[in-house]
Amino acid sequence: MMKKNNIYTLGALILLTLSTALISGITTLKIGTLLILGLSAVKFLLVAFNFMALKKAHIFWQIALIGFLIVFVGIVGIVI
Amino acid sequence: MNTTKINHKNIYYPPGGILMWIIIFLELITFGIALIVLAVSSKENPVLFHTSSTHLNTTYGAINTVFLLTSGFFMATAVHQFKLKDFKKSSFYLKLTMLGGILFLLLKTIEYNRKIALGFVLGYDTFFNFYWLLTGFHVIHVIVGLVILLFMHRSLKKDTALLEDVEASAAFWHMCDLIWLLLFPVLYLIF
Repeated sequence: MMKKNNIYTLGALILLTLSTALISGITTLKIGTLLILGLSAVKFLLVAFNFMALKKAHIFWQIALIGFLIVFVGIVGIVI
Repeated sequence: MNTTKINHKNIYYPPGGILMWIIIFLELITFGIALIVLAVSSKENPVLFHTSSTHLNTTYGAINTVFLLTSGFFMATAVHQFKLKDFKKSSFYLKLTMLGGILFLLLKTIEYNRKIALGFVLGYDTFFNFYWLLTGFHVIHVIVGLVILLFMHRSLKKDTALLEDVEASAAFWHMCDLIWLLLFPVLYLIF
């Protein structure tokens, strides 16, 4: 049997992917770019915490991955 | 087969193993730095980056994202079934995982062929240099991931698979998802 949580996660990931593609087609404004980056960061975390079971790992690994994502999205968001 | 539970709350035993997570972080940092350099380079010639990025097909990128995410979902399910000691189902979901990876590679091949036919090859401009190098290295990771999954599938069939190996293979496969989730928005969507 499939884990329900993973099915919901996949549904959310597909919806977020379609949303980012739509937003990209609608706007070229900075706010649109930041929204795309933000939604992509949510997808990244959903995969890491649910599919990779990072939520079961020691908090060090969770903080390290979130820290990496904040630095990456922060720098790209500021530069773009 | 060994399906003994591992205490992942121990700092030395994250799901997939500490060595795999060190590799994952090194890969993410490497791709992350390359994408930041891409973003910085775009400031030197924003018109060129905007024009070049419009030559990328967002639909292909989005469909490939769905292929990889669905494949990741099947991988997580395969690990879950392995822990439940249902090895037949685990093997089945592992096959679906590999199918997702193969579909990703097929669509990527079509995309690459079109780019080559239109002359957007490596060396065309800065944007396409980044595009080919970043997506090319990612494709290599997906191919390596597929080979690992193939060996994992063989171990499952021979009843010699260990939980640590299944989790490490899964972590590598999910890493390909994570890298793509960084590449897709930056290359296809934001310029």
